[in-house]
Amino acid sequence: MSSTSHSQSPPPPNSQNEEECIYEPDTNSYLIMSMLGQCCGDVGKVYLAFHVPSKTPIALKQFNVDKIKDEMENIQNEIILTRQLRHPNVVMVSASFVLQSYVTVISPLMAFGSCRDLLNRHFTEGLPELAISYILKDILQALDYIHRKGYVHRAVRASHILVNANGEAVLSGLRYACRLVKNGRWQRSVHSFPTTSARNLNWLSPELLEQNLQGYNEKSDMYSLGVTACELANGVAPFQDHPPTLMLTEKVRGYAPVLLDCTTCPQFADTGQQNSNQTQAQADSGVGDSVGSNGNSLEGNSLTTRRFTDHFHRFAELCLQRDPENRPSASQLLGHSFFKLPRRMNAPPLPQLLHPVIPLTKEVLGLQNYEEFQVMDRFGEMDLNSCEWDF
Amino acid sequence: MSDEVIYQCVIMGSEGTEEPVHIVLSDEDNMLDDEEGNSRIFEDLEPTSWINDEDTDVTTFFHRVDSDQIIYEAKKKRCKMIGKYVMGDLLGEGSYGKVKEVLDSETLCRRAVKILKKRKLRRIPNGEQNVQREIVLLKKLQHRNVIGLLDVLVNDEKEKMYLIMEFCVVGLQSMLESTPKKRFPLWQAHGYFCQLMDGLQYLHSQRIIHKDIKPGNLLLTLSGVLKISDLGVAEALDFFAEDDTCFTGQGSPAFQPPEIANGHEKFLGFKVDIWSSGVTLYNITTGLYPFEGDNIFRLFENIGKGEYTIPDEIENPLRDLLHGMLQKDANQRFTLQQIRQHPWFLRKPSQTLEQVPVPPLRGDELHNMTVLPYLMDFHYVEDSASVQPQYYTEHERNAWAEGVEPECYPSEWADHVSDARSRSKEASPKKFQDELRYNHGEEVLENPSEANKRKSKRRTTSCISVKKFPPCKQS
Repeated sequence: MSSTSHSQSPPPPNSQNEEECIYEPDTNSYLIMSMLGQCCGDVGKVYLAFHVPSKTPIALKQFNVDKIKDEMENIQNEIILTRQLRHPNVVMVSASFVLQSYVTVISPLMAFGSCRDLLNRHFTEGLPELAISYILKDILQALDYIHRKGYVHRAVRASHILVNANGEAVLSGLRYACRLVKNGRWQRSVHSFPTTSARNLNWLSPELLEQNLQGYNEKSDMYSLGVTACELANGVAPFQDHPPTLMLTEKVRGYAPVLLDCTTCPQFADTGQQNSNQTQAQADSGVGDSVGSNGNSLEGNSLTTRRFTDHFHRFAELCLQRDPENRPSASQLLGHSFFKLPRRMNAPPLPQLLHPVIPLTKEVLGLQNYEEFQVMDRFGEMDLNSCEWDF
Repeated sequence: MSDEVIYQCVIMGSEGTEEPVHIVLSDEDNMLDDEEGNSRIFEDLEPTSWINDEDTDVTTFFHRVDSDQIIYEAKKKRCKMIGKYVMGDLLGEGSYGKVKEVLDSETLCRRAVKILKKRKLRRIPNGEQNVQREIVLLKKLQHRNVIGLLDVLVNDEKEKMYLIMEFCVVGLQSMLESTPKKRFPLWQAHGYFCQLMDGLQYLHSQRIIHKDIKPGNLLLTLSGVLKISDLGVAEALDFFAEDDTCFTGQGSPAFQPPEIANGHEKFLGFKVDIWSSGVTLYNITTGLYPFEGDNIFRLFENIGKGEYTIPDEIENPLRDLLHGMLQKDANQRFTLQQIRQHPWFLRKPSQTLEQVPVPPLRGDELHNMTVLPYLMDFHYVEDSASVQPQYYTEHERNAWAEGVEPECYPSEWADHVSDARSRSKEASPKKFQDELRYNHGEEVLENPSEANKRKSKRRTTSCISVKKFPPCKQS
């Protein structure tokens, strides 16, 4: 099998539970078992693969070089950047090389998939609040790290948050990241607009979307984190059914998405917010509709009866402030009372909170016996093709 | 007497001069076919004939009108789409047509559109040909320092062509004009010059000679990246050409090299761009031109002699570079490689003086998206026909012209930007419509402070130009 090696990879020294191993650019070393999802439209595909020499399951991402056009630079940046970063909550690239006409990236397998998967398949009305607290804390740590390194992530969203078997959340999607340091100087703001990321628009901050001379900085990620918090809590991303231009004017006018619960869905609850009728209903209608179309009618669902803690509400509001100056930094937010909830409430670890979901661990995959054919059968049963990984 | 009186194209009421007057300024830069648009307003008016009105004396013929009696109707921000692009306001105007801001409604990326009218192009020598050439060239070019052409849309019915380009906030020329000394600090000029050389090297490597390098054709993006633009007179060398010999030059006179000024039949193309870049560097560092002349003949005479002086304040590495680029003999003139190895090019001058900032556009220092007001209208005003027109007077307009604090957003929603929380509750999209309605009958003027707020968004046109008034049209 002919293969060109772009970067011979050193072994990942601290991959948490795996023994050291070398991922060589050789098709014979990998057994592709099932597709986990796609990314960048249909340019990239993520597979669940089996690394034969080390007998471990891995995630194998392939980009078809013939199809990449605008994304080429992004993908290149992503690989270079992720290999420079090392943080337990930032996605890791174990190896990357060119196989035939595919850029191939090997990463540790994230057993719970992306948060978007979790929302689509198991938690259509949103994740439990305590689970969100765990996840966002990890992501804040990742953001704090990335910001200290001088980058703005620019694509914080549920589909870029992956959860591993231990219940640790990991931030991916670094191909949209942008440097804050230029010519050795830390810029107060940058202006570059990510033109290839139309899919991330709903999560982007108003100041980034405005594209004026003021520019934006790492605080833009805090806004995206707020939108992601709403996405994780509500099950659907804010502005999901809005045309992009309406989403833009809403954000510029300062309308911020909210966590949907009995305090913010007044039409079904008898809380004191009677006056917030028309706009609220209008602005949220997209969300309501899409929840309805997910197969759960609004009556009888928990959106109007559940109640998130004030800590969570305040956290989201802090992130979603219109003026970036007012938003706290990642490190400041790490001290927020929302993240003290799990301990105070004696919550079980994240994998238990995600209970009905079965992680794709070695055991579950039945790989102890290395009987690959049997494994293939098992995958058929698990219907993995419908999984959606955008990472 | 009940004659209709015309004064500066103001149509007076027939009952007397006390009654206020309506002038309707239609969306001049909103509607692209403004010529037709404006004239419709006056359709029902009979052309006044005054040739035989011997009994009319001059005092009634020319009526004095107070500036607060001339009333304009505020332009409505009606949303207009060209393909997937939402039209915004005017950015600039060239001989070929207007350049406006647009917003890609899918990616929400700001863009600029160059609107070309076939009718106008035909009047310009080589107009259509130049445009075709520019499109062909830009389509195959891709470089950080060369303006990108992203899309070409054609409307055959209107005989218009829309070139969607990368968005730039300002040209170096406008920046220079915004400063008292018409020049940049050396470190800032150095930054632009290096980018110019990068872009030029790319163009030359693609066998393209720009032929019209000058500050006016060097644009800056929001992040300060320089873009070489306007390849209207550029020439692509034939693939089999032995060298870069050219035969025609159409660039701006002050930036032309001696060989073109002297009317040589053929000359080396790459060296033309080097010369023009030299004049550009001279201009942005000194605020002066190396060659001047009362008219183009004098100018070309001076350029042809190739004699010029560099102000004393320009010190040596730069002085030497300018001399190298402004060599009369094209063969002696620096090549790009020589420039890139020149000490001034290699060493960035220290950042001593204040940076020249991007000047505000119509009072807006941040250069906010001009498409936003149109989108606001589109998304929040359900039936724009039901909105009462807004009026303001000449008097008020003169007051604004004397400098009222410019604002980024029109009043209708500027108030809402401050407090996100309260807004999401009370700002029913329909609300501000009521604010615009006034109850004192049609002729009552709205209060000036309200009107002040909208100032920044308005184009400062003078009164309706006569040529758009059909009865006054020349035959």
